[in-house]
Formats: sequence, structure tokens, C-alpha cells
Amino acid sequence: MRAIFRTTDQFLRDVRQDLVRPHRFAAERVGFISIRAAVTSESLILLAEGYHAVADDDYIDDQTVGAMMGQEAIRKALIVALLQPLGMFHVHMHEHRGRPAYSPTDRREQLKFVPDFFKVRPQMPHGAIVLSHDRAIGRTWLDRDTVINITEFNIIGSQMTIDISRPTGRVDFIA
Amino acid sequence: MTDRGDFSRQSFLGPDAEQILADARVTIVGLGGGGSHIAQQLAHVGVGHFRLIDPQEIDGSNLNRLIGGTKQDVVAKTPKVEIGERVIRSIRPWAEVRTAKREWQLADDLLKDSHALFGCVDGYRQRMYLEGAARRFALPYFDIGMDVTKLDDAQYAVAGQMIMTLPDGPCMRCLGFLTQQRLDREEDQYGDAGINPQVVWINGTLASLAVGAFVRLLAPWFRYSRDFEWLELAGNHQLVSRSRQPDYSFKGPCTHFGPRDLGDPFFDLSKLGPGLTKQ
Repeated sequence: MRAIFRTTDQFLRDVRQDLVRPHRFAAERVGFISIRAAVTSESLILLAEGYHAVADDDYIDDQTVGAMMGQEAIRKALIVALLQPLGMFHVHMHEHRGRPAYSPTDRREQLKFVPDFFKVRPQMPHGAIVLSHDRAIGRTWLDRDTVINITEFNIIGSQMTIDISRPTGRVDFIA
Repeated sequence: MTDRGDFSRQSFLGPDAEQILADARVTIVGLGGGGSHIAQQLAHVGVGHFRLIDPQEIDGSNLNRLIGGTKQDVVAKTPKVEIGERVIRSIRPWAEVRTAKREWQLADDLLKDSHALFGCVDGYRQRMYLEGAARRFALPYFDIGMDVTKLDDAQYAVAGQMIMTLPDGPCMRCLGFLTQQRLDREEDQYGDAGINPQVVWINGTLASLAVGAFVRLLAPWFRYSRDFEWLELAGNHQLVSRSRQPDYSFKGPCTHFGPRDLGDPFFDLSKLGPGLTKQ
């Protein structure tokens, strides 16, 4: 199964612009991208439809990580998925160019909250995405326990990008 | 030169262009006079994955323009998608080609994970529906079409258009191409020179404009930023120019398609088969 994350270049520019804004104590920002989905016999297509910035006051001051969301941030994201048939993808950005990789913290924290979205919206895939200045990596949960990699990012615009992850054996490719 | 062929004559498209185009998945709806040209040209530039959709077989009236069609095909009533596949494979044997000999509405499985959708269909209403499908799956849409209008007893005006729209840009209704007046008029008649007049040189010119716009998206060879393109071909004088119509019609962000229109309307993970988890 090929998992494709598709968005427009303008949408992704806006997300990046939000994520690089300074915060009074967090070293980085996080947010959620809501998606709708389509499926074929061999592809799951995740279509970005909205961006939900985490409010300044919803960060926890934890200097051991770049950014730590509080319960209120997660609760607000859960409500979005509860009220509309949307999947929710946590997103943050690593400040470099080229393909990003998950940090151990990314992996640990994603496992803590992404499966919770299936409590409110089990019909939709949920997941997490890490952006760099020009690339992305991501994974999607299909239920509370099943995770697959996003193998392709399609960025649609007047300059279009088809970014396909080919298995390299590197750890960051393994869901 | 690689296993795929020698693309040195288009090296100005960039060092990664061969791989980018080989990775591209394109869907062509309508493999008649326009779509057959597009399939052929995309094969030449090195696109690697094709989805061809057309319910019809070739008939004798198609031979004036359908690229790859032969007299034997007319006798054998070969499906147009098979002719398209044959043309593509004769140029790029390594290309993946999937075909559906049915209406595109019954083959939307071939649209969804494409990277671009080419609409080569008759009629404004069909165009409107097809662009709607492109928006639903956030695809760039390329539309070509021609028409012939009778001026007087001995003269005709030949014209055509190539329109490219992008998911977050204006649609063909915003641009003023698809108007209620045109949709209504279509109910009564289409063309004044017989049913759907089509000629190979106009189809070929419009197809080339669409292929150029597509390659420019994926492998831009100059700085370019535009969220739609509407080129008009004045066939009598063989002139291509940018349409002025959007200057009068385009009022701002598209109001015809929104985020709620994205994706499968009744998507439900629990209804998908177990194959979903295999990567």
C-alpha cells in the first residue's frame, strides 16, 4: 500500500510560516493538519484540508524537548476530529533542508497521543508529519496499533513536487 | 543515457527531470483526437505511469486525427485505450500503462492517486464534472477542446483552448470559461459544422500546449509562477494567445470547490481490506 500525502504549495508555505514563529519559551512550534482521504486498490491518499495552530498558552514549559503540547492542545485537536469527519496529523518542523528524520522524542511522543484520535474518529487515518524547509517525512496510523509510512508527498502548485521515499534501510524509513 | 533511454536533448529540464517524469502518474480521459496526441507526447518526454480511460472503440471517422490508429484498427474495432497503450509502449516499453474501457466516472480508481489529470472530453458539462473530480483529489487539471463555428455559407472559424487549473487556484467557472450560458446552449447544440468537428492539426497544437504546461509544472526550465493558464488558439490565423476573459471574470478565491469537497465522500477505514497495511 502506497500512502500519499497531498497538499498545495501555498498550504505548506502557510504551515511552515506558522511553525517558525518564535514562542516565548518553547524552542519550536507544533500544530495539526486536518485531512480528508481517498483510497484505491493500492493507494491511500491523505488530502490536507486545514491547519490548526497550537495556541501560545497551550504549550508546557519543558526545556528537555523542543516543544511540549499541553492537554488543552490535544483536547482541541480531538474536538476537531470529533465534530467533523477529519483525520488529524501532528506537524512540526526541523530547521534544516533535506529529508528530516524522527528524533527519539518524536517517536515516543507520537505514540502517546496519535492513537487517541481513534477514540473520537476511528473511520479516518491519523498520524504525524515532520517538515524540514523543503522536504517532509510522515507516518499514518490505520488503527490504534497499525502504523505505515507515508511513502509519497505530492506538493501541488505552479512548481509541483513528487517526493517519493524509496526504502534505503535507514531507520527513519521504518514505521 | 540510462536504462530508460537517452534524454540528452531535453537535459535543459534539469538533472532530476528524467526521474521526476518517470515517477509521474498521469490520467488521460478521452483517447480520441486530443488524448491520443497527449499520450504520445508524454511518452516521448519520459512519463512513466499512464492511466488511459475511454469507453469507445475507434471508427472510420476517427482516422482523420487519432494518433496511432490504423485502418486495421477500424476493421477490428480496437478500443481507443488499447491504441493509446500500444503507442506508449512502442516509445517507452518500460512505462506502466493501465487502461479502462469505460466511462471515467466508473474508473475513478485510476484518477485518485495520479499526479495530473488531462481532460479531452466533448462538452462543457463533462468538463465541469471532470474538473470537479480533479479538485476532489487535489490534482492539476489540463483541459483541451476545439470548436468550429460557421461564419457564412463558405467560411468557418476554427478555435480551441488549453486551460490548466490548480487545486488552490481559480477553476474554469471562476475564469469565465464554464458559464451557465454555455452549459445551457450545449443542451441545444454543439458546433455548427456537424457533430463535434475535430481536425488533427488543431488537436495536436492544443495537446502540445497541455503537455508543455504539464512539464513546466514538474520540471520548470525557467522561473514561473501562475496558478492557472488559459491559452486560446485562433485556428484560422494559427495564433496562440493568453485569454483575456479571466481579467473580466476572475473575482478572487474559488467559491465553487472547498475543503469539504476533498476526498471520498464516505471514506471509512473500517471498510478497507487487509491489504491496506502492506507496504
